[in-house]
Amino acid sequence: MSHHHHDAPAGDMCAALRAAILTAIPDAQVDATGGGGHYTLVVTSAVFAGKGMVDSQRLVYGAIAHLMKGDNAPVHAIDSLRTRTP
Amino acid sequence: MALSEALRVHLQSIVDAHDVVLFMKGTRLSPQCGFSATVVGILDAILPAYHTVDVLADPAVRDGLKDFSEWPTFPQLYARGVFVGGSDIVKELQARGELQAALGVAEATVKTPTLHVTPKAAAVFREAAADADGLVLRLEVSSGFRYDLSFGDATSIDVVVTVADGLRMHLDPGSAYRADGTTIDYVVGSQGGGFTLSNPNEPAKVKQLSPLQLEAMLKEGKALTLVDVRTTTERDLAYIEGSRLLDAAFEHELLAMDRGSPLVFQCHHGVRSLAAAEHFVGHGFREVYNLQGGIDGWSVTVDPDVPRY
Repeated sequence: MSHHHHDAPAGDMCAALRAAILTAIPDAQVDATGGGGHYTLVVTSAVFAGKGMVDSQRLVYGAIAHLMKGDNAPVHAIDSLRTRTP
Repeated sequence: MALSEALRVHLQSIVDAHDVVLFMKGTRLSPQCGFSATVVGILDAILPAYHTVDVLADPAVRDGLKDFSEWPTFPQLYARGVFVGGSDIVKELQARGELQAALGVAEATVKTPTLHVTPKAAAVFREAAADADGLVLRLEVSSGFRYDLSFGDATSIDVVVTVADGLRMHLDPGSAYRADGTTIDYVVGSQGGGFTLSNPNEPAKVKQLSPLQLEAMLKEGKALTLVDVRTTTERDLAYIEGSRLLDAAFEHELLAMDRGSPLVFQCHHGVRSLAAAEHFVGHGFREVYNLQGGIDGWSVTVDPDVPRY
């Protein structure tokens, strides 16, 4: 019934999110902020050009899925995700 | 992939069976997470009806949907069998004025709610309206069922209800949905007068139960489930006959039960159990009790054979 978060420092998890997204979308500009399991992402990349919002966000979610899996996932929620083209 | 073919077929049948389906945490009248509440608020304003599925009630559906939709978070909105998006996308579509097109719905057609305003309340409204200077009488019912009666500006999306001769009330579409069937009265007491609202859509609340009342229920043979929310260490010290410790498996069983099943929650002194009881009310259970004073109160007033600790 309660949510458990790993107590990794917020900066580390933002860096981990950024790294995971860059692995999947190398040209991306990633702005990751937040802490305590809740993060906000703004991702800018040419790869989103011509893609709808669902497909664009799926690309990002796919890249960070391993950080969001399971009840004890270090990333409990992405409070806001925006994808943009440069 | 955790998604079995049977589950995929089941999920597909849900999204095919309804024009608009929202997979969410909690229910439309009682969302259990801010993102779900946001999307419910947006949909309430433009859709008279849509189907919701509480993913908290079924872990298999919750996990399966992540693969089914290729989307890791909730809520998830489907329209005519097609995935529309999560809360960010719904907000974005709404901000762009594209949500109704994405849902395939025409202009909002919100059902006009039935409101009962007693003659006493109507008289107070009329008196206040005389000074309201072009403003309209508004009733707001928040998604958490807090009420606000005020005079304010009319808006183009308002639902307008004639509640008494020459007296009209304006509601935003979400409030209109939640207010249907509400009775508004005006009661004068020792502290002065005030409006009272009685709304049949309000989710059930936890009822307090004294140890003696619980004893009487058990003696009558009432079919209730007595849930012990303490730790295993505490349970080793003392327990109430017929109770069962709430663990993950039991929680899963409870969430699969009919929402009319009576549940009684019990802890040491009645505080932890109240939080647990409210959690289950959030899942739609309509008859939920909290044992006042917990097992300690039970030991003092009903059964001294239960050790105190």
